Amino acid sequence: MGSAHTSVPRWPTSDPGLDRTGRSYAILSFGPDARPTAEGWHRQVVELGRPVWARHGGSADEVLAELAERVEAARVGWRLMLAGPQADVLAARAVATSGGLLDAEITLLVTDDRHRRVWCSHCDTTTLAEVATGDVTGCSGCGRSLLVHHHVSRRNAAYLGFMVDAETIDGEAV
Amino acid sequence: MTTLALVVGHSEEIAPGIRELSFSRTDGGVLPAHPAGSHVVVDCGEGRRNAYSLTNPGADPREYRIAVLHKSDGAGGSGHMHSLRVGDTVTVSRPRSAFAPVSTARRHLLVAGGIGITPMLAHARDAVRWGRDVDLIYVHRPGSEAFSDELAALLGDRLAETTDEDEFGRLLDKALTGQPIGTHLYVCGPGPLLDRVLADAAAAGWPPERLHLERFVPAALDPGREFVARLARSGRDVRVPSGRSLLDALHEAGVAVPNMCRQGVCGECKVPVLAGTPLHRDEFLADDERGAAVMCCVSRSKTETLEIDL
Ligand code: FES
Repeated sequence: MGSAHTSVPRWPTSDPGLDRTGRSYAILSFGPDARPTAEGWHRQVVELGRPVWARHGGSADEVLAELAERVEAARVGWRLMLAGPQADVLAARAVATSGGLLDAEITLLVTDDRHRRVWCSHCDTTTLAEVATGDVTGCSGCGRSLLVHHHVSRRNAAYLGFMVDAETIDGEAV
Repeated sequence: MTTLALVVGHSEEIAPGIRELSFSRTDGGVLPAHPAGSHVVVDCGEGRRNAYSLTNPGADPREYRIAVLHKSDGAGGSGHMHSLRVGDTVTVSRPRSAFAPVSTARRHLLVAGGIGITPMLAHARDAVRWGRDVDLIYVHRPGSEAFSDELAALLGDRLAETTDEDEFGRLLDKALTGQPIGTHLYVCGPGPLLDRVLADAAAAGWPPERLHLERFVPAALDPGREFVARLARSGRDVRVPSGRSLLDALHEAGVAVPNMCRQGVCGECKVPVLAGTPLHRDEFLADDERGAAVMCCVSRSKTETLEIDL
């Protein structure tokens, strides 16, 4: 609890279903694959007669900025439901948790877990790349080859990347 | 278990049927420190031990302060507590913290019913001292408003006090639907009040992770079904008849388990569970501990056999 780093949880890749315990809802979907599920949640919330704010598609940066404002104004009872590629969903989750939401108040559906946000521990740049943990990708900031660690920072919602050579002792990966 | 031998430094009826007591070391020295919301277990004579919330500030305390409601049925040790006078000696446990303010909370909503105000007084004082955002709803019987003046001075309009059930419902409803995300709720009071607050909070969409309760008046426990406790280390089976606690049954079988409150609040009698499903009736264990441990003073078994690591 409260630590900046956590080992990587497994994010649900099939529809976890609507969390019916909320009093009001925010639903965000990123990308075409996520949209049908998110629209299904949206319809169910409307059927329950509870207030909902939803964004499907659009520029991720704008959606995240708006999400931050919504979180700031949210009252307890609010639920956030997120669907989309892992990188977007985790970025939205980081915005929400830094605003005080608990994991119990957030539902996630990951439609694409091939793309990862990788945070370079050397130059502080975050790179979006199609890369698995344990593999190497180039940093878009400093160009270093980063080994993608099996750790996600809650704060910046990115996998931790270290320069490959920094991890090697006598030619063996640590 | 370590206990402290203390003396009564103050004993005063502060509201009808409510006596405030303070305990100190005979040499006036500093007592063990504790977070807000902590409690101590006090020997109340005739083998009774009760848990009481500490209302004093917890940093380097020179006295522990509690307030005791006199129960008219005379059972439960409150009569003994009310007979204590300055200079009497008491046996008190070290403080235990099971109801501390959540450090990451953005706001703290406190709800107290009757004598359940005692841990909330500690929370309110601590919140004001450290500049945390706090609101208190306090419902009590007419004429038994313990600590009202102090709370009003401390909290101003962040205190909502009522003696009226309907008004309490309106205050609660308004509070439950108006808290910024990041608020945590703490409630202490009689069972029906706790049940109502928890139910209303759930209906307003509060997840259990934001709700914290302190239940000092144990729900009347039914005698329960007979089961067998299997002691894994010795391979022995101990029969636990209906009406007898697991703690007592183990004791009669010659297996001593440390214990204090015998009400499922202090945490002393925790026993690891290896197989079977406990029937939990305590207020101590966190949800994620309930698979692997049982408080043997009050809890029983859902399965016919409960295998424990003793
Ligand atoms: S003796 Fe206190 S919880 Fe069992």
